[in-house]
Amino acid sequence: MAIWHAVASWTWDAQDETCGICRMAFDGCCSDCKLPGDDCPLIWGACNHAFHLHCILKWVNSQTSQAHCPMCRREWQFKG
Amino acid sequence: MESLTSSPVCNLGILTSLDNDSVQEILQSYDGFCTAANSLLKSSGDLSLEHDFVSHVHTLCKHGLHILSRDYFLRLLEEAFEKNGASRFWRYFEDYSKIEEDLEKIDEDEIQRVLCNALEEICLEKENQEKCLLMLVHALQSYMDNLTDGKPDFDVGKVYLFSKYQLIVSSILMANLPRHFPEVLHFYFKGRLEELSTIMDGELNEENEHRDRDEMDLDEKNKYRTGEMDIDECYSQDKFSENSKLVRNIGKVVRDLRNLGFTSMTEDAYASAIFMLLKAKVHNLAGDDYRSSVLASIKGWIQVVPLQFLNALLAYLGDSISFDQHSSGIKSPLASQPSSCYSGTNTPSEGLIRWKLRLEYFAYETLQDLRIAKLFEIIVDYPESSPAIEDLKQCLEYTGQHSKLVESFISALRFRLLTAGASTNDILHQYVSTIKALRTIDPAGVFLEAVGEPIRDYLRGRKDTIKCIVTMLTDGSSGNPNGSGNSGDSLLEELNRDEENQENVAIDDDFNTDDKQAWIDAQRWEPDPVEADPLKGSRNRRKVDILGMIVGIIGSKDQLVNEYRVMLAEKLLNKSDYDIDSEIRTLELLKIHFGESSMQKCEIMLNDLIDSKRTNTNIKATISKTSQIDPVAAETGISLDNLDATIISSNFWPPIQDEALVIPESVDQLLSDYARRFHQIKTPRKLIWKKNLGTVKLELQFEDKAMQFTVAPVHAAIIMQFQDQTSWTSKNLAAATGIPVDVLNRRISFWISKGVLTESLGTDPSDHVFTLVDGMIEAGKNSGNTGNCEELLAGDEEAERSVASVEDQLRKEMTVYEKFILGMLTNFGSMALDRIHNTLKMFCVADPPYDKSLQQLQSFLSGLVSEEKLELRDGMYFLKK
Repeated sequence: MAIWHAVASWTWDAQDETCGICRMAFDGCCSDCKLPGDDCPLIWGACNHAFHLHCILKWVNSQTSQAHCPMCRREWQFKG
Repeated sequence: MESLTSSPVCNLGILTSLDNDSVQEILQSYDGFCTAANSLLKSSGDLSLEHDFVSHVHTLCKHGLHILSRDYFLRLLEEAFEKNGASRFWRYFEDYSKIEEDLEKIDEDEIQRVLCNALEEICLEKENQEKCLLMLVHALQSYMDNLTDGKPDFDVGKVYLFSKYQLIVSSILMANLPRHFPEVLHFYFKGRLEELSTIMDGELNEENEHRDRDEMDLDEKNKYRTGEMDIDECYSQDKFSENSKLVRNIGKVVRDLRNLGFTSMTEDAYASAIFMLLKAKVHNLAGDDYRSSVLASIKGWIQVVPLQFLNALLAYLGDSISFDQHSSGIKSPLASQPSSCYSGTNTPSEGLIRWKLRLEYFAYETLQDLRIAKLFEIIVDYPESSPAIEDLKQCLEYTGQHSKLVESFISALRFRLLTAGASTNDILHQYVSTIKALRTIDPAGVFLEAVGEPIRDYLRGRKDTIKCIVTMLTDGSSGNPNGSGNSGDSLLEELNRDEENQENVAIDDDFNTDDKQAWIDAQRWEPDPVEADPLKGSRNRRKVDILGMIVGIIGSKDQLVNEYRVMLAEKLLNKSDYDIDSEIRTLELLKIHFGESSMQKCEIMLNDLIDSKRTNTNIKATISKTSQIDPVAAETGISLDNLDATIISSNFWPPIQDEALVIPESVDQLLSDYARRFHQIKTPRKLIWKKNLGTVKLELQFEDKAMQFTVAPVHAAIIMQFQDQTSWTSKNLAAATGIPVDVLNRRISFWISKGVLTESLGTDPSDHVFTLVDGMIEAGKNSGNTGNCEELLAGDEEAERSVASVEDQLRKEMTVYEKFILGMLTNFGSMALDRIHNTLKMFCVADPPYDKSLQQLQSFLSGLVSEEKLELRDGMYFLKK
């Protein structure tokens, strides 16, 4: 065998399928982005909820005081 | 004696006053007059008889019998002419009475000779008679001169007599006119004109040579007319005198004919001869060669041959009856030389201009008819035949018979192109050529619309239209199975050109584009041709845009984009390297045309490929860093170096067909290793392998030789099973590779056809045994093209596409509505297509909204009909009972 050129698809290793904020698929991108993947990464909070980075940043920035996770209302902390 | 002008009633009074003497005198002089007149006619105007004749006339006049003498004389002339002139004249042509039947046998020179002789003779006869008539006139005149000073009266008498004579002559000739005489004339003129034409052609060539040598040909010609001659000029003078002699001959014949009262017949004859010659010339020049423009040469020819001929002829005939005044000038060959069109000094007469217009119109019309009849062929080899198209354009501008073009072209299309036998590709190419060609003829696109309509309608009925269009868009050369190459590139070229246009517009953007554009548009505005159908939309927006028209066939650009996406996916998935330059280029062009947003997904697909390349090298880099060798890799001799991967963002790709496939253990481990490393690099992401996709380059090593293949993973998986075990039954093999038996049988035939495996019946009839062929002796026998050549993907790969086709997708989406449709039909009994369509549109607004086109619905319904769920009768759909 010389070369095996295989095909694979990538997927985010998240429990959910879609971003809770923009309702777009994680494998897709948020509504502001055009290119999925590295250009529109996911981010996990301390509560283990994942969102598009851009979406949650927008959310966090729009909150006046301490931001909460949109899903579980816990205080939002970036994981890791 | 009363006045000569007395009426016959008065003459009766005279009769009573006559005495015997005068009666005697009258009788004597009448007898004398008769004999004198007879002998005068016989001797054709012998002057010696004149005195006698005159005295008799005088005597008769004295008795008031001048009318009698005149009438008698005229009757005498008539009889003599009929006997000597007309009958003899017609006898010349008796031989040609069968002229129409055997055209080949006619000797043109013979006709010419006979005609000239006959004309000469009859004219001589006529001249003589005229002389006699003149004598009578003189006699009458001298009598009158004695009587009164009646000059004006006399003139009237002379004119009257001559016109009467003329009438007599022509009526005699006409009365005996043989039916074939016009034909004879026609042939005569044809022959002469052809002769002239050859002379002129020779001259033309001569002239062209001159022109090559000396740009000042025009001056030279003028110079030589003023007397400065060198050798060339002498030569061309010879030519000129030769053809002016010819023209003079013709002119003489025409004059004689006119003289005999054949004016209109003659004109008809030479006009028809000229037109025939012109037609022959046009056909000859135009022929079946569309690669050169012929209009200019035809026009030039009209200038040189028929117009010069007419010019000379009209000049010779004086363009009016006053021939005598001109004839003196014509005596010199130089003066009659037909060069007015070159020197331009003497303004052409009105008659000539009229002739010119007539001839040109005729030429345009002939050429136009010729071209329209062949328009289909012309368009088939369009880029080469553009001169012919240009010609046609000019002709049409002149004649305005666009509708003729449209009709004949449409019928040609129906007959020759829009048939089941024509491949969609060919139709599309022809369509593109048609658009291009007609765009030159008619920039407004009105006729194009009319012509394009049947093609579009027809193409809509074909299933593979979209596919062909996309193929044409993406790769030109391979789109054409006939291998006739470049025509397929046309669409790509078109894309390129669009791009250039866009750039131009971009430059214009610096100015105030709107105003400027509006002004330009306003300046360019032209009214629609009359044939434009007012129902067909606003004309000012009708830009003739090839891609637009092509997309118009499909209906919407979305469908086109979708199809393109599927084809792109197919192509990308089967790529073994990451070289996508051409695809990027095509995509950029398409983006310009269809807009950024609609090509978004395709862009992501291409981006995936670029990312994959980067990721792939990254992953390879981690191997060399860690550098310790995998135990598995060492075992099997394959490492991650052998593995490349295309990693796709599955959401943005068309649905991909998943097939179960168990790939060999060693490869599988490689894949999971690769996935692990990917996971390390792009932490929260993981890979899901599409094991049935991709390509595998294989090298099969046998005892004596090695063979290389590029195959699909399925084939690789199959053949790799034979590494350990040279013989498999199909059931076992299917289990080992994880694919159904029937699929396996299909796939394995690839290897059998390559002569690598053989198939034999096992113990169980449904269970075949496949054995690896030992040595390549048999393989060489099986197929000549194996060897160590690199085979492309197996042929059946076409059918087994890795990406779900657009139709499949559509069917999947439409199944949602199947229940709705069935329910509707249960309620309503029967429904027409558009009613179903409208109802679905009205009620299926929620998830998922109904957004299919009428055609899509129709194809889905016909699918249901073929599944025998529905029934279609008279355009109404029923539930199948």
